[in-house]
Amino acid sequence: MLTITVNGKKREVQSAEDTPLLYVLRDELDVTSPQFGCGLAQCGACSVLLDGKEVRSCITPATVAAGKEITTLEGLPDRWAKQQHLSAAQAAKTLHPVQEAWIEQQVHLCGFCQNGMMIKATELLESKQNPSVEEIKDTFTNSGPSAHLCRCGSYVAIIEAVRFASTLMAKGGAQ
Amino acid sequence: MIGFTDQTTDIYGAQLSRRGFMKAGGALMVGFGMLRSGAAEVAAANTSLRAFDASLPGSWIEIRPDNTVLFRTGKSDFGQGTIYTAYRQIVAEELDLPFEAITTVVTGDTDVTADGGGTFDLLGHGSPNIRKAAAYTRQAIVQLASEHLGVPAEQLSTHDGMVSGGGKQVRYGDLVKGKDFKLTIPVSGDLTSIFGLAVGGNPPMKPVSSYKVIGKSYKNSVIAQKVKHQEPWVTNVKLPGMLHARTIHPATLGSRLVSAGKVDKQKYPNAQVFVKGDLVAVVAPTEWEAIQASGQVAGATKWTEWKGLPGKEKLYQHLRNEADWNATPVQKSRKSTGDVATGMKSAAKVLNATYELPYMKHAPIGPTVAVADYRPDGVVTVHTHTQNAQALRGELAMMLGVNTDKVIVKTYAGAGHYGRSNGGNAGAEDEAVLLSKELGKPVRVQWMRNDDIQWSTQSPAAFTDIRIGLDANGRIVAYEADHHQPAGQDDRPIGAVLAGLPTMPAPSEKGGMLTSNATGSADPWQYDTVPNLEERYHGTFQVGQKASPLAIGLRDHSMRTPTQYQQNFPRELAISDAAALAAADPLQFRIDHAKEERLIHVLQRLREESGWQTRPSPQPAAASTGSTPVRGQGVSVMFRGGVYWACACQIAVTPATGDVKVEKYTIAVDPGIVVNPEQLKRQIEGGAVMGISQALYEEVAFDEGAITAADWISYPILKMNEIPEIKVILLHNPAVGSYGQGSEAANALASPAIAAAVFDATGKSIRRLPLRSAYNKELLKA
Repeated sequence: MLTITVNGKKREVQSAEDTPLLYVLRDELDVTSPQFGCGLAQCGACSVLLDGKEVRSCITPATVAAGKEITTLEGLPDRWAKQQHLSAAQAAKTLHPVQEAWIEQQVHLCGFCQNGMMIKATELLESKQNPSVEEIKDTFTNSGPSAHLCRCGSYVAIIEAVRFASTLMAKGGAQ
Repeated sequence: MIGFTDQTTDIYGAQLSRRGFMKAGGALMVGFGMLRSGAAEVAAANTSLRAFDASLPGSWIEIRPDNTVLFRTGKSDFGQGTIYTAYRQIVAEELDLPFEAITTVVTGDTDVTADGGGTFDLLGHGSPNIRKAAAYTRQAIVQLASEHLGVPAEQLSTHDGMVSGGGKQVRYGDLVKGKDFKLTIPVSGDLTSIFGLAVGGNPPMKPVSSYKVIGKSYKNSVIAQKVKHQEPWVTNVKLPGMLHARTIHPATLGSRLVSAGKVDKQKYPNAQVFVKGDLVAVVAPTEWEAIQASGQVAGATKWTEWKGLPGKEKLYQHLRNEADWNATPVQKSRKSTGDVATGMKSAAKVLNATYELPYMKHAPIGPTVAVADYRPDGVVTVHTHTQNAQALRGELAMMLGVNTDKVIVKTYAGAGHYGRSNGGNAGAEDEAVLLSKELGKPVRVQWMRNDDIQWSTQSPAAFTDIRIGLDANGRIVAYEADHHQPAGQDDRPIGAVLAGLPTMPAPSEKGGMLTSNATGSADPWQYDTVPNLEERYHGTFQVGQKASPLAIGLRDHSMRTPTQYQQNFPRELAISDAAALAAADPLQFRIDHAKEERLIHVLQRLREESGWQTRPSPQPAAASTGSTPVRGQGVSVMFRGGVYWACACQIAVTPATGDVKVEKYTIAVDPGIVVNPEQLKRQIEGGAVMGISQALYEEVAFDEGAITAADWISYPILKMNEIPEIKVILLHNPAVGSYGQGSEAANALASPAIAAAVFDATGKSIRRLPLRSAYNKELLKA
């Protein structure tokens, strides 16, 4: 039986091993932040971090995650808390700076794509502290299997939020 | 209850009653009483009366003892955030409470909200209901306070959740503590129609000059819930024993089922095929098995061949020469004036041009999904994401041949629909109901990406012939337009059509407002100095509809700024073309032909804020050859829902490749009252990006039988690195007295402005959308 690690917890998987990670997470493990948008790795709504790298869970077989650490939107606060060595009490009331920024900048329109946008932003900001607007645009357009698409047109807000998250992270979070 | 009073008080036509005393809690609940009109009685006969009893959760507003408030609306949030920001602000304002006192907002579900109606124009046609309900409630509170304090009502005033006067004061919550008050307000209309119920009467409203809550940038609380993944999405609905289904759609838009494939039980032991008429689906206990098995069964399913579409390459030829524009009466603009023929004869110069725009998709980022739970007692609950839950309820009841009280629609957050479900269904709901009824289990139907592009409705294609006569001074002396657009709204649930079950009729000349094949005026004329004007609107059947044995063809539907998009693109581009013919600056040309001060002011501010260069088009260095980018500017205007809009864009065109890059995009808007500046700005930015996407890329590819676009490669939309610098200028104008909103119109401004900018840069007119590189390259060569 396949065992995978999701947001720091080891989970046993009953699904067939070729099942895309998206359906394992959503249907079997009730980790529902990755969304089904296209099933073709063309939009980014299903993104998760696999050992810190963004992957499209809709085309990634669950076996690929064996022995690796999956982080989803649900796991972003813990991921940040661990990186910052926060106490359990602090961690419980802490969001990831990317999440803080998405709220502060009021990014979501429908928000269906924003799971993937926040995952992509986290990946970017973990590798580059202070990306420029051009670097943000390039990352969200060219760095994965496809551009991250937003039909509501929230790109302006996303760019502002990534910049804002960058300043929050430099300060060690929202507090 | 331990006692009753017998008193009922009239509150500006609403009835305030005291039904007794409660041992704990207490509330003032606002509910409905149907007006005695024909429409209301028809609706009452067809719908569950539960929704109208204010003692049940079908009420609108509850004032609670702790001075907090709940309100309900039958509308659903589709990403504008309006219900969680502007609506709360309007309710708080009319109740004279702080924004934060509105702690609970109940939306959409047909069993716990009462008014129905579509989620569109929320601050226009949508807002009077909640605003009036709140205004009635405030008057009722004053009446209760008057009795409680022994002070005449006319000496009392309200502020911050308190009533005071005569040296006394009381909190709203204290008035209802331990009491059970009910306020019945007058309503009329048809619950399951696209507009739902309307609150009647004219309770006194708060004057705009005393607004405290409206006009501030409160945050949308649902965004935080979504960021924390605490908001339930429609995609996450999971019921015990639920089966997963995938629909296998016909090979073409006119194919009938010959034989459904069989499941390969070796590979997919738990999957089964469902067939009803031409509706085919595969169900399985797990989603991945359903997906795989449906792929296998689809390959083995046989359909009749059908060719009843012109194909994309021959679309405009078909629309002009083969479509039957005599199918329905021609309509004329109410503003038609003077004598166009005489005016045109007197003209020194005449522009004679045709403008064409293609089918476009709403293209929600998540395909339609619904879970249905049909119970043995014949009641079905549908969990979905719809812009009009009550209309969907009506459609599902019609399909099943039952009263609407057998159908409950629960709504959840989901991907934006941009108008696709404003008449009820988005695609998966009826199929989920039929499958659940047949299989006796809850069924989740999730369309795949290709289903959603190929089997949903689309924004109709259109073409317009325009003639503009200019006098010797370069002023418009005559304007004549013939707009042609197939039927614009088809809300028939496609699963019911395929299954051969009852639906509303296909669009025809006999149809009513939403089932007609006529096209009306949607783009109010703005150039009031033009002496001779005639605009005609030609409608016809949907393309392929008459030839399809299923009477479907390319089904059309309203999409963000519906029909006005189709009419504003040709008109605004033609005005820019006419300005070029007159050798006039296109922005000043618009001002010179306008009378409305709000429009003139918006254009003046746009000129100041956008970096506009005042000069005629094309620009002096315009070039239609070469691999060096050439730059151009363009402008467009629109009046929609009481709001004046103007946009200017600066672009770069590379003639050798046809590539168009929008570099800067400025929108100036006079919305009247700005309810929430930050939310409005975000709505406008989003609309602008969608509009640039539509202008540059969007077009539905189809062949002689089917839509061939299937994914984000074959139906591309704008990517993040393609957005321009976007600037939004909000011109708050409280004197107008109405609330302005945002995403509609913002999307429609882009295409005429960008196309005009391409002409400015190159000197070549491109009068067809989209402005894709390959098309531009060919047209620039011509």
